[in-house]
Amino acid sequence: MISFELTQEQKLAQSMVQELAAAQLRPAARDADDREAIPSSILDQLWATGIVQSQAEAGGYSPSLNALLLEELAVADAAFAIAAAAPIGFLGAVTAQGSPAQKKNLLPLFAGDNYRCAGAAIMEPDFAFDVSSIRTAAIKTHDGYRLSGMKGPVPLARHCNLFIVIAQCDGAADAFIVERNASGVSVGEHKPTIGLRALEMATISFKDVELDASARLGERAGCDVQRIVDSARTALSAIMTGTSRAVMEFVMPYTKERVVHGDALAKKQTIAFRLADMRIETDAMRWMTWKAASILEQGGDATRQAQLAYTYCGEQAMWIADEGVQMLGGHGYLRDNPVEMWYRDTRTVSLMEGAVGV
Amino acid sequence: MIDFQLTEADEKILGVAHDQAIIGRRYARYYDKHEDELEPAEFPEAKDLPSPITLAEEAVSGTSGTRILHSLVMLEVYWGGVALHRSRWGLGNTVLKTVAMPEQIEKWKNHTIAIAITEPGAGSDPANIRTTATFDRETGEWILNGEKIFISQAQSADAAMVLSRFIAPDGSRGMTTFLVEKDTPGFTVGPQLKKLGIRSHDTCNLLFENCRIPEFNHIKGDFKSTMSVFNDSRPMVGAMALGVARAALDFTREKLAERGIEIGYRGGMRSRSAVVDRFIRLEAIYEAALLTVLRSKWLEQQDVPPKVEASIAKAAGGKAARKITQGCIDLLGPEALSEDYPLDRCFRDGRIFDIYEGAGEIQRLIIARSILNYTGRDLR
Repeated sequence: MISFELTQEQKLAQSMVQELAAAQLRPAARDADDREAIPSSILDQLWATGIVQSQAEAGGYSPSLNALLLEELAVADAAFAIAAAAPIGFLGAVTAQGSPAQKKNLLPLFAGDNYRCAGAAIMEPDFAFDVSSIRTAAIKTHDGYRLSGMKGPVPLARHCNLFIVIAQCDGAADAFIVERNASGVSVGEHKPTIGLRALEMATISFKDVELDASARLGERAGCDVQRIVDSARTALSAIMTGTSRAVMEFVMPYTKERVVHGDALAKKQTIAFRLADMRIETDAMRWMTWKAASILEQGGDATRQAQLAYTYCGEQAMWIADEGVQMLGGHGYLRDNPVEMWYRDTRTVSLMEGAVGV
Repeated sequence: MIDFQLTEADEKILGVAHDQAIIGRRYARYYDKHEDELEPAEFPEAKDLPSPITLAEEAVSGTSGTRILHSLVMLEVYWGGVALHRSRWGLGNTVLKTVAMPEQIEKWKNHTIAIAITEPGAGSDPANIRTTATFDRETGEWILNGEKIFISQAQSADAAMVLSRFIAPDGSRGMTTFLVEKDTPGFTVGPQLKKLGIRSHDTCNLLFENCRIPEFNHIKGDFKSTMSVFNDSRPMVGAMALGVARAALDFTREKLAERGIEIGYRGGMRSRSAVVDRFIRLEAIYEAALLTVLRSKWLEQQDVPPKVEASIAKAAGGKAARKITQGCIDLLGPEALSEDYPLDRCFRDGRIFDIYEGAGEIQRLIIARSILNYTGRDLR
C-alpha cells in the first residue's frame, strides 16, 4: 500500500539524529575536512546513536530507517554519514546474506561502546572500473580461496578490521569476508581526494591472500552481490539527498539577506526559480531513495529502483551543489563557507559506487 | 510504514484502466487527425465496461486510497491517449460545488460547467483579467463584456463559470464568478483552436458582448476560491503528463529491445552504451516525477492540504513529459519521426502539461514564495 508514513520509532530516531547533526556534527565538519581525519570523539558520537550496531540486533536491520538517518547525518556532513554507512553496509550484508556461523561470529564484534569500522570493498583503482567488471579474483583452492587484486578508494581503510571484498570467482562476482590483518593484505597510503577528505581514502592490495571456505559470504549458499551494490547505491542516494538539503538550507537565508541592485537576491526570479528547483529535486531524490530502501527492507529486487535513484541523485546533487556555490558568488568560492566543501563532497559521493549500505 | 507497493486491489483497478487505455489508443491517431470532431462521451467498446475513474473514486478497502488511485488511473488514461469514458465534469463544477448556494447547486448539478479564466492579456497573471460585469438596476441583471481564451470543454459544456471583474450598484469593485449558460444571448463560442497536440481536446475562445445574466447566476466565487480549484488538479496534471511520458518510454524500450538493446540496471555507467545510459536517465526522471505526484496525493489523503507539494508534482510532471518525449525520439533516431508510430503524438501532446493549469514558472513562483516565506508582492 503506497504510504509515506513514518513510524513513531522512525520519527524519534530521525529527530534524535537531526539534533546531533546540528549541534555536534555540523560544527566539526570543516575541521575534519581540513585535518583529513574524523576525530574519534565524532566517531564515538555516531556510534552512540546506535544506528550502526542496531543492524546486528535481532530485527534491527532496517534499510528504510537507515536511509532516513543517513540523510540527516549527511545534512551535517557527508563524510560523517559515510563513516556510519560503511559499517552499516558491512553489517547489513552479513545480517541479510551471511551464514548462521558468520552472523554468530561477526555480529557480536560490533556490540561494544566504541566506533568500529568495516566496509565493503567493491571499487578498484582503474579508470575503466565498473561494478559489473570486477578484476579482483578469488581462485578456488583445496580448502578455500586465494584472493588477488586491488581495491580502492576504500573509506577509512586504515580503521577497518574487516572488509567484504567483491571478487570474480568461477566466472561470477562473489563476496568474501577478509580481515585486514590477514597475510597478503596491505592498506596503502592515504590518497587525498577532491572531497570527503576526512575519510582518509586508501587503496588496499590483496596478494595471494589465503581464505578459508568459510570466508565466502553465505558460505556454501553464496550471496547475491547485486544486493550489496543495490544497498550501496541506495545509501549514496540518501547521502546525496542530505548534502543537497544542506546546500539548499544554507543558500536560502543567504539569498534573502544578500542585496543586489537594491533587492534581495532571492526576490529575483532567476535565483528564486533555481531555489524552487532545488526543493523539487531534493523531494524527488528523497522519495526515490525511500522507494529503493523500502524494497530492500521487504527483501524484494531493488536493482532497478536503486539504479534509478542513484543515477538521478548523482545528477541532481551535483547540479544543486554547483548552483549553491554560484549563488554565493565569490563567497561560495572561499573556504570560509561550507558550500565549496559540499561541492567537492558531492562530486566525490556520486562516484563511491560501493563501500556503504543501508 | 514507508511502502511503495501497489496492493492487489490497486492492481485490479489499474488493470481495468490499462486494458481500456489499450482500446483508447486505437483511436488516438484518429482524433489527432480529426481535431474538429469531439470524442464521444462514451465509446461503444466502453458500454459494458466500468469507468476506472469511478472504480478509483469509489474504492474503499484494500487500496492505497482514492486520491492516489485516481491519479494513477489518469496516468493510464493518458498513456492510451483517448479516454473511453470522458468525465462529464469540468472545473466549473468544482467551483459550483465549493461556493454556490444550495439552490444554485440544485439547479446546475447535472450541467457540465467549463471554467473560464484566461484572457488575451491575462494568462499566467489572472489578476489582470479585463472581463467586466456591470449591474443594470432596471432589470436586476448583470451585463457581461469580455473575451476568454483557451477554454477547455468550451464546446461540450452546458455552461461556463466565468471569472470576471464587477462594478456593483454601490460602485464597489472586485472579482467574482458568473455561471453563463450556453444559449444566453451575447455569449458566443468560437471555433476549435488549432493546436500543436492534444488536438481533439475541446478548446475554444468565448466572447461575451452585452451578455445579460440574471442575479441568480451570480455564484460569488472570489478570486482566491476560484483559483484554489487548481490545488487539487495540479498533481493530477502531473500524473497525466507522466502517462504520455510513459507511453514514450514504453515504446522506446520495446523498439530498442527489438534491435537487441536491453536496458540493464545492474552495472554502472561505464558498462553501458550511451543509448542505455540516456534511457536510464529519462526513466529516472519519470520515476522522480511520479513519486512527487504520489507524495502530493498521499498528503491529500492525510487531510494535509498540499500546496507546495501540489506545485512540485505539476512542475516535475510537466518537465518530465517534455524531457522524456524529446529524448525518446532522439534515442530512436529519424525513423521515430514518422506518424506510423506514436512518438510524434507523445512529443506534441506531452508539451501541454508544463503550460496549462499554471505554467511551470507559476509553480516555481508558488514553491519559491512558500519556501522563502515571501508574499506575492515580495516575489513577483
